[in-house]
Amino acid sequence: MASYMSMGEAHRRITDYLNRFVDVISYQDGTSLKPLLSLSSESPSFLALADALNLFQDANRLIKQADKYSQYAEIVAPLFRAMQSYRVGHLVESYQAFEKSANAFIQEFRNWESAWALEALYVVVYEIRILAEKADRELASNGKTPEKLKAAGSFLMKVFGVLAGKGPKRVGALYVTCQLFKVYFKLGTVHLCRSVIRSIETARIFDFEEFPVRDKVTYMYYTGRLEVLNENFPAADHKLSYALKHCDPQSEANIRMILKYLVPVKLSIGILPKKALLEKYTLVEYSDIVLAMKRGDLRLLRHALEEHEDRFLRSGVYLVLEKLELQVYQRLVKKIYIIQKQKDPSKAHQIKLEMIVKALKWLEMEMDLDEVECIMSILIYKNLVKGYFAHKSKVAVLSKQDPFPKLNGKPINS
Amino acid sequence: MRYYLMERWQPRRGRGRGRGSYSSSSQTQSNNFRPSNTSNHPTTRKPTPNHISSKINIKQDDNDLEDLPNLTGSCSYMCPVEERIQRERLRDLAIFERLNGNPSQSSSTLAVKKFCRTISTKDVRNVDLRPVLVLEDTLNHLLNVFGSKSQPFEVIHDFIFDRTRSIRQDLSMQGIVTGDQAIGIYERIVKFHIISQHKLQRNYVNSNPNVSPMHHLNMEQLTKTLSSLYHLYDQTRKPNPEFYSFYVLLHLGSDHQPTGESLSLWFRKLPFSVMKSKEMMFARRLLRYSRFGNYKQFLDTIDSEASGLQYYVLEPYVCDVRAFGLSCLNHGGYKLNPYPLVDVSKHLFMEESDVESFCKDCGLDTYTSEDGTKFMPAKQTSFCSPKGPRKYYPMVSERLKTLYDEAPEII
Repeated sequence: MASYMSMGEAHRRITDYLNRFVDVISYQDGTSLKPLLSLSSESPSFLALADALNLFQDANRLIKQADKYSQYAEIVAPLFRAMQSYRVGHLVESYQAFEKSANAFIQEFRNWESAWALEALYVVVYEIRILAEKADRELASNGKTPEKLKAAGSFLMKVFGVLAGKGPKRVGALYVTCQLFKVYFKLGTVHLCRSVIRSIETARIFDFEEFPVRDKVTYMYYTGRLEVLNENFPAADHKLSYALKHCDPQSEANIRMILKYLVPVKLSIGILPKKALLEKYTLVEYSDIVLAMKRGDLRLLRHALEEHEDRFLRSGVYLVLEKLELQVYQRLVKKIYIIQKQKDPSKAHQIKLEMIVKALKWLEMEMDLDEVECIMSILIYKNLVKGYFAHKSKVAVLSKQDPFPKLNGKPINS
Repeated sequence: MRYYLMERWQPRRGRGRGRGSYSSSSQTQSNNFRPSNTSNHPTTRKPTPNHISSKINIKQDDNDLEDLPNLTGSCSYMCPVEERIQRERLRDLAIFERLNGNPSQSSSTLAVKKFCRTISTKDVRNVDLRPVLVLEDTLNHLLNVFGSKSQPFEVIHDFIFDRTRSIRQDLSMQGIVTGDQAIGIYERIVKFHIISQHKLQRNYVNSNPNVSPMHHLNMEQLTKTLSSLYHLYDQTRKPNPEFYSFYVLLHLGSDHQPTGESLSLWFRKLPFSVMKSKEMMFARRLLRYSRFGNYKQFLDTIDSEASGLQYYVLEPYVCDVRAFGLSCLNHGGYKLNPYPLVDVSKHLFMEESDVESFCKDCGLDTYTSEDGTKFMPAKQTSFCSPKGPRKYYPMVSERLKTLYDEAPEII
């Protein structure tokens, strides 16, 4: 706490803030309102104000002094408390006070007819989430149950309700939706996304194209991730590709995040990324997997999965990547075919199951003939290999035409 | 979601903090864009008190548990005295509760508290709830009944099903979220449900088609109990990996998601140490084989590694996997190379005689050659998934056989 500030200075800072607050609202200057509501940005002016408040201790008296201030008392008084608590590291208190202030702010917001304060509302919404996260960390570190982020989710739902109307404010609904996604993903209550998605996608008042590009990208990123979790690859491809296409090309961090989920999706439909892409966005965890798919190297795939197991599990793509085994087997058999073709083109399409056993042994994977027969039967069933296998002679006979059909952007039928 | 926050926006309806007012008010007052909330969240942090319903019988939000008054059970009997007397009077006693077979006479050592569907927390008193130690004793008594064989299995199952549900209700109404005893209780109830599922399936197949609805109810309670158990594990940090493996095994089968949540999402939340445990690695391997379609490794792994309980959970999928395997062999085989059934039996871990029967179930023909060897021709077009009640073909596995010969029902 700044002890170098005098009482007089503290008084001045607080009244300056109050005056600014009042002016900004009367001029409907949304851009200038934004910094007045932000705590987590920890700007120098905020820090100084918070110090002033903690020093002065009786800001409420100042608020009540003039009508022009007191009309916003319900917003400003708890906001001041939130700032004070934040400054001394009492984040649970800060969240609680901020939520009160935000509630009052929304009441006012409803009354303002135009959407002039929409960007300021975004700041409030963002702060609610960030402060809730910090509050939960504080609760957890004190051995208590974290519950503020969940409360923030409920609050954001209310805000959504306020914006979901016919007027110009409705374009803000997507921003709030994206903040809700972030809350739900963090809490793991991802199923709650469903109802908001339904509102956005089916309500007549919303036209998806009207929303700001930035929000559309974020929306498609999260809904794309949901599709990945549910393994709907065509939908996931569509949404994540949209996000990638419309993402700010300068924003490398965001592009990386999208690619983190898009790469496994593309791999599942048989599309491999270039090495340069993986390197540019430091997605090294996928390098060995791509290599394994190119080589038909099952051992490398398994090794890569194990090496980054925790990371893949956290992002929810582990099971997706595991399933690439099918394509790796296909590639392995194809390589054997190619080698045989070079030796004797007329016999290439007949592959002894023994050969496959040998190839797997070379990759340090022990499998007997029965198992290899089983795997061939699966590859054929799933149309990754065209042909049949002769049980008695232990030979796989491949179709002379297109024995290894490409996926062509479609997921493997199961 | 916290309904009481919504109160700021809407006047409260109905009575005060009773259960029913929240759900009903939010549902009747929704404007178009208040997203509806499904309160069946098996994976939230609180134990799922789905059995606490208002008199309107609407499922409750998990968060309401925080609003519960701190109830501490003080009933020292398996059944509250008032309830026992009332049920004696109404002749509402299960056969296991009757003293000397008398339908209107029970005793404190026989009567067990029933599950109560329509109860509002306002009406619950401490004397109606049993503390943990009494619940443990109650469970011991019930599991003795379970092993007794004095009645047809469905009758026994029904009784234990209801009374264990009541035990769970008592636990969650007291907000008991810690303690080894609570964990032990939930774990044993999980085992009960698993073993019951196995027996119900056998009975269904062998005789009475009316047993089928019990499957779904039993499965439902199994998943709910598991969910409560996981919450306890979260709180106490003493996870038992085998019980996590059951969850994975319940999700085998292509689109089978009994809890409506993808496994990828569920995995995200588990501690890495659980994910790497022997039991979970087993389940994850089975999951991998199942998704790949690798029927041979699937069955092989069960043969070499499944525990008795894990096998019971897996049993229904074994049939699906075998059917898939048969379909692959039929589809990819060579017309001029029919399969000796003895070879098929190796792929499917079945007795040869069972293979013949199973082929028939799947619409496939078999024939016997001159020297007595049986074959299944490939490329038959008549394959279909086995319909109706699943016939049970034991897995040819010495190891599993010893497992369930030794201790099929120890809970």
